[in-house]
Amino acid sequence: MTDATATDTSRHDRQSRRATLGRRVLPYAMLSPAVLVTLAIVFFPMVQTAWMSLHDYVLFRPNDFDWVGLENFRTALSDEVFWISLRNTIIWMGTTIPAQLLLGLVTALLLNQQFPWRPLARALIIIPWALPSVVIALMWVWIYDSNYGVANEFLLRMGLIQQSIPWLADPDYALASIILTLTWQGFPFFAVMILAGLQAIPQSYYEAAAIDGASAWRQFWHITLPGIAGVMMTAVLLRLIWVANSFDVIFVMTGGGPGYATHTLPLYAFIKARTNLDFGYGSAIAVLFTMLLMVVVVFYLRRTGKAVS
Amino acid sequence: MKLNKITALASALALIAGAASADSTVRFWYHFDNADNPMNDLIAAFEEENPDITVEAENIPWNSYYDQLYTAVIGGNAPDAAMVKMFAQPRLVEMGALQPIDDWLSEWDGADGLQDNLLTLTAGPDGSQYYLPVQYVVLYLYYRPSMFEELGLEVPTTCEEFREVANELTRDTDGDGQTDTYGFGFRGAKGGHDHWASFTLGAEGVSLTDGLASEAGVAGTQFVADLFQEDGVFPPSAPNDGFQEIIGAFKAGKTAMTIHHIGSANGMVEALGEDVAAAPVPECGGGRWTAFGDESTAVMANAEDPEATWKWISYLSSEGNNATFNEATGQLPVVKADSDSWSLHPQRFVQATVDSLPFAEMLPSSNATADFVNTVWPTQMQRVLTGDIEAAEMNETIAELFAE
Repeated sequence: MTDATATDTSRHDRQSRRATLGRRVLPYAMLSPAVLVTLAIVFFPMVQTAWMSLHDYVLFRPNDFDWVGLENFRTALSDEVFWISLRNTIIWMGTTIPAQLLLGLVTALLLNQQFPWRPLARALIIIPWALPSVVIALMWVWIYDSNYGVANEFLLRMGLIQQSIPWLADPDYALASIILTLTWQGFPFFAVMILAGLQAIPQSYYEAAAIDGASAWRQFWHITLPGIAGVMMTAVLLRLIWVANSFDVIFVMTGGGPGYATHTLPLYAFIKARTNLDFGYGSAIAVLFTMLLMVVVVFYLRRTGKAVS
Repeated sequence: MKLNKITALASALALIAGAASADSTVRFWYHFDNADNPMNDLIAAFEEENPDITVEAENIPWNSYYDQLYTAVIGGNAPDAAMVKMFAQPRLVEMGALQPIDDWLSEWDGADGLQDNLLTLTAGPDGSQYYLPVQYVVLYLYYRPSMFEELGLEVPTTCEEFREVANELTRDTDGDGQTDTYGFGFRGAKGGHDHWASFTLGAEGVSLTDGLASEAGVAGTQFVADLFQEDGVFPPSAPNDGFQEIIGAFKAGKTAMTIHHIGSANGMVEALGEDVAAAPVPECGGGRWTAFGDESTAVMANAEDPEATWKWISYLSSEGNNATFNEATGQLPVVKADSDSWSLHPQRFVQATVDSLPFAEMLPSSNATADFVNTVWPTQMQRVLTGDIEAAEMNETIAELFAE
């Protein structure tokens, strides 16, 4: 080997090492802005919330920040309103999401059929999802209004009820009314996701099934459903997390009332912290709820992990 | 094209420079329901008189006004001056958010021109003066004379009469089996504590801080519950009804009586003409109680230029300006001279206000008052109205809150 060749090889080695290093560092460099922002605006407040939940911290006494350990958690677990809110949260999530899924599925199946004006229908269906929550809440407050609302007017004219029902002022109906509103708001998300899933199923499967004499129901059960199962699962998990965190519609429609009839855990944490200024206790409720939600999040992460691998 | 851009940029810069040439800026937070907001006119007039001061006024929605104010104070981003109510004073003082105005007040010519007693009423919990009154109202009973005449009824002066009259007024006017008119529009949502208090706190020995859990105190809450549950004289939506709902229902003829102040009088006259009148709230449990609705302005502790800030708030409580301010809010001026020449409201509403003054009271100057108003009263009242808890439990919860 001549000297010239040796120099060439070592230069080549250096270059390739530099390229390897570059390849290794580049992803981190590219990701770091997003990671840093996430750390600053998500992770840091999370740690701060956990820290506050261990203190007696009432905002109008900003100088008192006394360590109380798990006292706020003990208070929460013996707080009647916490349990009422938890019960409402479970009912609220347990009915809203399946209802949204079902309605979304039916809508997606309909939108997947050939009919005139289909693109227009697809565009219109997204409206509830695109509207701001506050607008939706105010709109539905008027729909439910016991004096002038169209809901009562419609039901009275149909003869289904004899007296106007104060939908949002009656504890028996208030939560159900809000669930209906949220179902209406959220179903387009499922419809759009499922529609995308439906369009990914090759038409040839259906043709083959038809040749084999499979009925429409069997085609749906054996081809459509397995084809969209993955999309549906991801959509449900995402929606669970979103619905769990949102309280804006409830806050505008009833503020959690009447009494505690529509109190949910995120709303209760918000009221405690922002209205009563009791940040210690509000944070404790938020932390407890986060831990419950963590189960769902872990499940979601494992799923997406599997999907990636 | 390029020249246009340069010209636009130059004029923008000139504007910014013009705005920045003022020596100090006063950031002012207020809340007006009225859409014809006259604040800009007041600011323009003030800035003309004080060319070295710029006022940046921000109208904050009432529902979240105090949430935002407290959070801004803690976050170090509070305005220089703000509109404030008495119930918030103990909390704001405890937070160290307010500046005493005693020294300025003693040198201010306008102080003597304020209505008697207003400065005493708004004194701070530690003896210093923090609040400068800017408007006031007293709550009274609104009623529809035509509905009373039709049934030959007299305006109730006691709770017993009130109940009888409300029952008579609750009726199905067109025979379709639906109740068309309710006797009273009760505000069960946030802000309705004044309604409940008129029926409860008039009783002898009963106040928010004393005797609320007594038999007489509980009787008041039970009276409200019975009106809704047994007599059905409130609209079914009462537990959730707020300001908009009770005023809307009254204007629409859905309710025959409600309680509010002179701030809504002109709107009512616009909708109902002569068919709306006012009287003091009825006597309940041997005495009367109505709310004195206050509104003041204050210099915040973090004000960048306290002198300029004081100039601005004292401007709003000066003769003439105070009238302009109150023409927008529909409330009553705190300046005697403006009051004497006041012609904005029909006389019958001013009279009801004056007649109610002798027994008008403010909520206790306590740290618990804010929670009482914002969360404890609304949830407890709604629970009583919907049969979730008994009247006694509500009164005990409130008594405990104030005892803490």
